[in-house]
Amino acid sequence: MIGAISAPVIIEACKNNSVADSNTSGTAGTNTSTNGTCSIAPTETEGPFPTKVPTSYVRSDITDGKTGYKLTAKITIGNLNNSCAGLAGAIVDIWHCDAEGNYSEYGGTSLQSTNYQSVHFLRGRQTTDANGLVTFTSIFPGWYSGRATHIHVHVYNAAGTSLKVTQIAFPEGAGTGVALVNGYSKGMNGYTYNNADNIFSDDKTGLEIAAVNGSLTPGFDLTFKLNVSA
Amino acid sequence: MPKNVITLCYRKIIDTTSINHWDKFVHEDSFTEFRMQSQLYNTEQKYQTFAELLLNAEGAEKLHFLVSAAITGYLRQLNGIIPDILDQLGRRFLTFEHFKFEIINSDINDISKHKVAINFFSKPLVWHNTINNMLLVSQYTAIAAEETFTNLFQIQPFVSIHSIKNID
Repeated sequence: MIGAISAPVIIEACKNNSVADSNTSGTAGTNTSTNGTCSIAPTETEGPFPTKVPTSYVRSDITDGKTGYKLTAKITIGNLNNSCAGLAGAIVDIWHCDAEGNYSEYGGTSLQSTNYQSVHFLRGRQTTDANGLVTFTSIFPGWYSGRATHIHVHVYNAAGTSLKVTQIAFPEGAGTGVALVNGYSKGMNGYTYNNADNIFSDDKTGLEIAAVNGSLTPGFDLTFKLNVSA
Repeated sequence: MPKNVITLCYRKIIDTTSINHWDKFVHEDSFTEFRMQSQLYNTEQKYQTFAELLLNAEGAEKLHFLVSAAITGYLRQLNGIIPDILDQLGRRFLTFEHFKFEIINSDINDISKHKVAINFFSKPLVWHNTINNMLLVSQYTAIAAEETFTNLFQIQPFVSIHSIKNID
């Protein structure tokens, strides 16, 4: 601050020496005094200057260093009020658990702190393109007690108003991703299949089940169409 | 002489009265994210305030975490330096890797009610001495040097000692 204020004063002083009839330097300032408050004033070069940044959810690759079999999730948002045609400009959040079945999260009022570099792993946000499509790169989710493999989805309109909160289920049986990944190191002992899952068990026609193709290497492709009223 | 290694916590409060750009960005963006994420716990749009959500909606305490993604980009812009807290020479001297974001109060319809806190947890410091009302500290390193450069600073409101470890 001191440097910024004093520089123009010096320039004006030089002008005064060379232009004899000028007797006003600078213009009246508008800053009021904060002198006398009991604090140390910052005495450093200003900066780094903040710039507006989007929420850290906004990225296509949500892996954040989490290991697992690659999964590319292609989710298309359709508009029920427009014959389910692709909805452009919708905001799509997804989140799911890691290979061990854990989510990135903390809560409550404990003093637990978090490193800011990788705190929101396996969570992402994208805006749909002209065809209503968003694509995320992630890992095949693991599982945890009481639930079938799933991905959470929250769809908003462009203004951020919630249109749909739902979950995507995975196909099961021989040769499917769920069978091939085989619960990672946990295995499948104690696994909850879709027909016993408290979210998916009422989905008798498979509306909530994505198409998942591929193999452990190079990975799996998930495609899902989700229709909302927009 | 026993040596104490401490970490400090600075709880930076940001609300509608905050004036610098960084604080304003954090305030605006965390409010936007709060409005979006709170809908997860407010499907019938019964609640307006964060307090109502905490009281009535199961899982709403996760909003502290969920909204924090709106501000981690701004934390990166700090390059690991805790803002605002100065030593006697007027320099920022505390470094951090860990933080905790809190929503103190908010209202989905009124940004002026939106008040948040970022708790910055400093990297470990060696507490050498107390001089009047000031602490003499230095950055903790595993290998002690013969001569250590120190910072002298005053504990101020919203700064506290978060943890202490005695190493002889």
